[in-house]
Amino acid sequence: MNTLIIILLTLPFVSAIIAYIAGRSNQKYSFWIAEITGIILFAITLILFFNYSKPYSIDIEWFKFANISMPMGIYIDSLSLVMLLIATGLGALDIHFAHDYMQDDPHKPRYYSEVLFFIGGMILLVSAAEMTGLFMGWEFMGVASYLLISFWHHQKAPADAGVSAFLFTRFGDIFLFAAIGILFYASNTLNLEQLNTMAVSGKIDKDILFVSALFIFIAAIGKSGQFPLFPWLMRAMEGPTTVSALIHGATMVNSGIYIVARLFHLYTAAEALTVVATIGAISAFLGATSAIVQSEMKKVLAYSTMSHLSIAFVGLGASSLAAGMTHLINHAIFKALLFLGAGAVMLSAHHVKDMWRLGSLGKKLIWIAVFMGMGVLSLSGVPPFSGYYSKDAVIAAAWLSNDTQGAISILVTVAGVLSIVYIGRLWVLIFAGKARDEKLYKEIKKPSLFWIVLPLGVMAVLTLIMGFFQESISHFISGNDLPHMKYLGYYMLSAVILLAIFVYLFYYRRLDITQKLYSHPFVKGLHNILFNGWFIEKIIHWGVWNFIVEGIAKASYYFDRNIVDRFINFSLPASSFINHTLNRAKSLTPSQDSAYTIAGVIVLIAVIAFGGIR
Amino acid sequence: MNPLYMIFGPVVLAALVGIFFKEDFLVKIISLVLFVSMLIWSVSMLDTASINSFSLLGTYIHCNLIPIDLTLQVDRLSAVMLILTFLLLILVTLSSWNIKSSAYFALLIMFAGPITGVFLSTNLIWFFIFWELTLIPMFFLIGIWGAEGRIYASIKFFLYTHFASMLILLAFFLIYKQSGIMDISMIKESMLATPALIWWLMFIGFAVKMPIFPFHTWLPDAHVQAPAPISVLLAGVLLKMGAYAMIRFAIIMMPQTAEKYSYIILILGLITLFYAGFNALYERHIKKMVAYSSISHMGLVAVAISTVTYAGLSASLFEMIAHALVISPLFLIAGLLHERTGSWYMKDMGGLMQKAPFISTVFVLASLAALGLPGTVGFIGELSILIASIQKYGLWLAVIAIGSIIGAGYLIWTLRRVIYGEISDSVKTSNFRICKTRVFALLIFALLIIIFGLFPSILFDIIDPAFQAFNHTGGAL
Amino acid sequence: MTNAFILFLVSAIVSPLLYRQGVLKLLALGMTLLAFGFSNTVIGLSGFENNPAVTLFIQILSAVIFAFILHERDEHLITQSLFLAVVSIALLQSSTLVTFIISFEALSLISVIITLGFNNSTQAQGAIRIFIAGAIATAIMMIGVSFLLLSGANLNSALPKNRDILTITGVLIIFTALFYKMTIFPMHNWAVSTYANISSDRAALLSGVAKSVSVVAIFKFFAPYLTNMSNEILLSIAILAIITMTIGNFMALFREKLSSILAYSSIAHSGYMLLAFAFVNSKYASSGILYMAIAYIFMQTASFLILDILKNRHNIETLTDIKGLSSYSPILSMFFTIQLLSLAGIPLLAGFMGKAILFYAGIDVGMLTVVLIALLNSALSVAYYAWIIKHIYFDKAQEGRKKYIDKSIFLSQMILLIGTILYGIYVYKILNVSIFLLH
Repeated sequence: MNTLIIILLTLPFVSAIIAYIAGRSNQKYSFWIAEITGIILFAITLILFFNYSKPYSIDIEWFKFANISMPMGIYIDSLSLVMLLIATGLGALDIHFAHDYMQDDPHKPRYYSEVLFFIGGMILLVSAAEMTGLFMGWEFMGVASYLLISFWHHQKAPADAGVSAFLFTRFGDIFLFAAIGILFYASNTLNLEQLNTMAVSGKIDKDILFVSALFIFIAAIGKSGQFPLFPWLMRAMEGPTTVSALIHGATMVNSGIYIVARLFHLYTAAEALTVVATIGAISAFLGATSAIVQSEMKKVLAYSTMSHLSIAFVGLGASSLAAGMTHLINHAIFKALLFLGAGAVMLSAHHVKDMWRLGSLGKKLIWIAVFMGMGVLSLSGVPPFSGYYSKDAVIAAAWLSNDTQGAISILVTVAGVLSIVYIGRLWVLIFAGKARDEKLYKEIKKPSLFWIVLPLGVMAVLTLIMGFFQESISHFISGNDLPHMKYLGYYMLSAVILLAIFVYLFYYRRLDITQKLYSHPFVKGLHNILFNGWFIEKIIHWGVWNFIVEGIAKASYYFDRNIVDRFINFSLPASSFINHTLNRAKSLTPSQDSAYTIAGVIVLIAVIAFGGIR
Repeated sequence: MNPLYMIFGPVVLAALVGIFFKEDFLVKIISLVLFVSMLIWSVSMLDTASINSFSLLGTYIHCNLIPIDLTLQVDRLSAVMLILTFLLLILVTLSSWNIKSSAYFALLIMFAGPITGVFLSTNLIWFFIFWELTLIPMFFLIGIWGAEGRIYASIKFFLYTHFASMLILLAFFLIYKQSGIMDISMIKESMLATPALIWWLMFIGFAVKMPIFPFHTWLPDAHVQAPAPISVLLAGVLLKMGAYAMIRFAIIMMPQTAEKYSYIILILGLITLFYAGFNALYERHIKKMVAYSSISHMGLVAVAISTVTYAGLSASLFEMIAHALVISPLFLIAGLLHERTGSWYMKDMGGLMQKAPFISTVFVLASLAALGLPGTVGFIGELSILIASIQKYGLWLAVIAIGSIIGAGYLIWTLRRVIYGEISDSVKTSNFRICKTRVFALLIFALLIIIFGLFPSILFDIIDPAFQAFNHTGGAL
Repeated sequence: MTNAFILFLVSAIVSPLLYRQGVLKLLALGMTLLAFGFSNTVIGLSGFENNPAVTLFIQILSAVIFAFILHERDEHLITQSLFLAVVSIALLQSSTLVTFIISFEALSLISVIITLGFNNSTQAQGAIRIFIAGAIATAIMMIGVSFLLLSGANLNSALPKNRDILTITGVLIIFTALFYKMTIFPMHNWAVSTYANISSDRAALLSGVAKSVSVVAIFKFFAPYLTNMSNEILLSIAILAIITMTIGNFMALFREKLSSILAYSSIAHSGYMLLAFAFVNSKYASSGILYMAIAYIFMQTASFLILDILKNRHNIETLTDIKGLSSYSPILSMFFTIQLLSLAGIPLLAGFMGKAILFYAGIDVGMLTVVLIALLNSALSVAYYAWIIKHIYFDKAQEGRKKYIDKSIFLSQMILLIGTILYGIYVYKILNVSIFLLH
């Protein structure tokens, strides 16, 4: 089994290199290498999954200096296995989908090698036993995400988006980095399981525990696109849609939740879960509200990702590991489905992202419409789709827990029910109604059944089937039942139906009313706020630019040149001044010179004679 | 092999080569052969230096009146520094293949002599002699082959560091006066009557070379104006010489005084780390940006040194090597960009990835390593320093992490402006083809960054014994 | 009994007979070589003594004179240089007051004579300055000697050791007079115009040879008296030294004329050498001054001789002229650069070791601040030496003018260069004999 695990961890990186090199001679090779690697990885994960009885664990010492040993072991338990299934399964499907999606791109080798690198990072993250390995995987994914967002780096927008993504997530990451140092100091170990047990047994100082939990959570905020570090996620939509589906919908953004889940006992012991829930609730609300007004379909999906990850965070924050993780898994699948569906639409519609230019595509892209519809239903929480169960579980947990009752539970409920509005709106605007851009409509291409529709179908079926296995998933991960609340399902369902009717009315039946409504100044203002993601990005950007770059950085720049260096350079004029002063004394004639000297000697004699030198 | 040949041989060889060989290709080959053989020699010394103390290589030039014998001793620390030096010299030679001047390579050969002496001689005066002697080839290399501001830069470099050396010399005088011994392997702190004064003189002297704020301003000028391979040599060897001397004299020789003032080194190191980082953030000049980034990393080294513990020193040595590997390709590529586009400013660049993917990839990799990405050598340095310094000073040292977000700020922004984005006119019209040896040098740097980043134990196994014997009452061992 | 003194004297007296015969140079070289071999002998008159340190210095003196003769084409100047060697040996070996004064006056005289070969009014001005200065110095010295006589000193013995007011006054006044020769502030101005204005080969003899010989001789003669002198006097000597070197260094900055830079640098070096008198209580002071003088005689003579070559062959007098010298005269540039670096006190060259040991004597007697200032001065001096090097190497030449240097000039520079480098590395060669300087 250990061999398989080692292969699982190293194969993606090896393949990444091979795919790049092989792709230089023939671009097709790189796809096939990636595809085969994806399938092998998934197969290995399945083998691990079906043979799972107790956690797989391998101890490796990474390096050692002085009396400090840095391990980088492997530890795969049920939580990791589930994450591995998502990463490798969705990864394989995504690579498969990319065959058509990236067909015309001249840089396929780079694409596949970066995607494989990403998958490797994700595998490393979820199977790490120590913070070191976890951080390594964490950062690998960050870099892969950066590179893939900037995949079309020759255009301005993707290049900017990459910078934004890297810096936002990196800002969070330094806290994780600091937390590694803090935890190592406090507990002398970086093993995640040991940290959990030590935290529970109270061996680590509570304040230190809280600070490190908070720091780790800041990193999670950055990675999972939570308030206030979410703007990068929206910009990340500049990357290829396959990338958005895999990284920014299904896998990498989950890692923030994963790390909190992994250190769940530490968070419980540190009493930091309330912070998690609060941030989650705020983000859920901000994301859901902003998603309603977006016009680009990928942006809608991005905000919905943010909102749904927040819901998962709230689940954890409400002390329910089961609810949070189950929702994470379900979300990964239906969000990948929706993203790839959006990708399929864009592929057919010549890369038009604006939903207002589409419409009535259901007639031409019937399969895509059906599968995406299933994703929509799952996301909005309609039984028997998987989303229904987990979302309700989270909301129930939020209402049931004492810490999260009140504002947090209200916000998350609102965010939960609002999802039908934005995702229903998305589906309706794309697939129903009239074609708003006739010219584009005529040019819609049929997608390939094998390369495009098949992955969608697999995921759609999955999201349906998994609805029936929610309790077993929950048991597999946490050993607990999903939280339940009486009648909550009925309330939620009725709210969903109500809002579905609203969507039907406003975005299908009477689009004219919607447009009229938008011209009202108040609605217009509100729309503007929501459309810009509550202006969080603008505020952060303004702050960073004015206080850090134009403030501290500029000040130190001028300080360095005008004070520190000028002080050194001042030696030149100073010595020049001394030189000139001395020069004046030099211009004596020989007679003056001699006269002064003789006078000096006389003075010397006088001093010796009368000063009484011994 | 008589180590004297390794010190004076290159100097004599440089003079011969400089006078008699006009054909630069031949000189290039000679210098490559020399550096490779010296690298092999220094690697072979690892065995000699496997024990935790100095092992004597020889004593020469004996004098009755004052014990200024040329005593050559090697320990793990100096052996590691020598390996780093010769590795860099080889790569520097390869990356300056396009320079058609035998004198340039003769000066490189000449540099190899005194630098060997610096790391091997344990006599105070001889250490100082070699320390100063390294300035001369550097002065000429910057002054003759530098960019437009080379004269100002070279003279500032020469004078600034020479002034600082005078303080070191004074400190050495005081050490000898008070202890009566000139050999650092025998000097004990307790022999000194005024350890504080001596320590401060040495600290300032070495701080200029390292450099530590506020003594760093010679560096941006010198590094920017020097030809790119020489910037590599400055950053990779000359700064390391400062750090080496700081460890050897200010820490290992005087641990108690160092312990007493460790907070001052720490604070100055932290200021250097952040201050230089912010300077780099605002910098539009690409090579200056790299230079400030280099200063910032040396701030990290200073923080590690300030711990005065086994772990901290080990981490600092790792970071020194990491810094050399990481910053060198950045300097090389920044220099190449200026060479080909004729501009120093990032606004004139952009879209390099479309024109020169290999160079751009190395640049991206080195930048990521410089900002401390796991899997690269930069991360290991930062991690070990973080852990070592938190162990010593407590949790607030987690602020070191801020350094890496500043680093991310300027490096990623630089990548955006130089490597990515729309292709600029000057990049479009320039030719970025470089000869195979330069490609090879960049490749070696890139590989080492990754190999040591993934398998740091290779490096730590070599460097860690250097400080095994280091133990004193003040340290948190 | 043959000795170096006689050999030099004979060759000096005979040399005018051989003018324009073409054999003078050869003969002079041969005699110098012979003198080199007999340098351990002492003048066969009473009042002269020898010791290993002096022997070493005389050897080096012969080597430098040898190099000078190789370099020189003016036959009169060769004669004068031989005379200078004669007088130097006498001065170095003199052990009584009368022999010292006579030899010293002879040295002054020959110095004036050397400057007399002038061709234009500027050179004449330089000659007049040294003449006036020498005259005043003699007068002052006579005052000092009269004080000594009043105190009852015997002229035919070494300096008396007694500490009565008359002896102290006498010694100090003589010392003041000697400051002239050593170009110490405030009596340094003549040296600038003399060294900078007369032709450089003559300046090499004056600044390089005559000065270092007189410094060593003065130290040898006066140091025993200064030992255990009150701190105030030693400290005021140190202050004078500091002022001298500071003035020399600062004035040397921003000069345009090369000889003028070297003249000021010579004054700065006088400052360093005067420090030895302030540090006289240390046993390293004698090593320091001997080392310094040996280093100085090599590097200063070599630098001025190079200036002479530059003037004669390339008509270079100023920094502007010397731009890009390395491109058309690489060997000469190398010689010049190494000697300048030695003057600047860059290690592995004699100049560094001289300074280092001299300054260490200061630490030895506890004058930390003085040493610090001296060290910083030495660092400052790098500024103008590096500035010359910058013009030689970093600037472009105005026109291409390639000229190879003669073999004899190459050889002469090579001798001086080897001296500079050899004594930078083989420290013990000087240090092991230097302790005998005062015995």
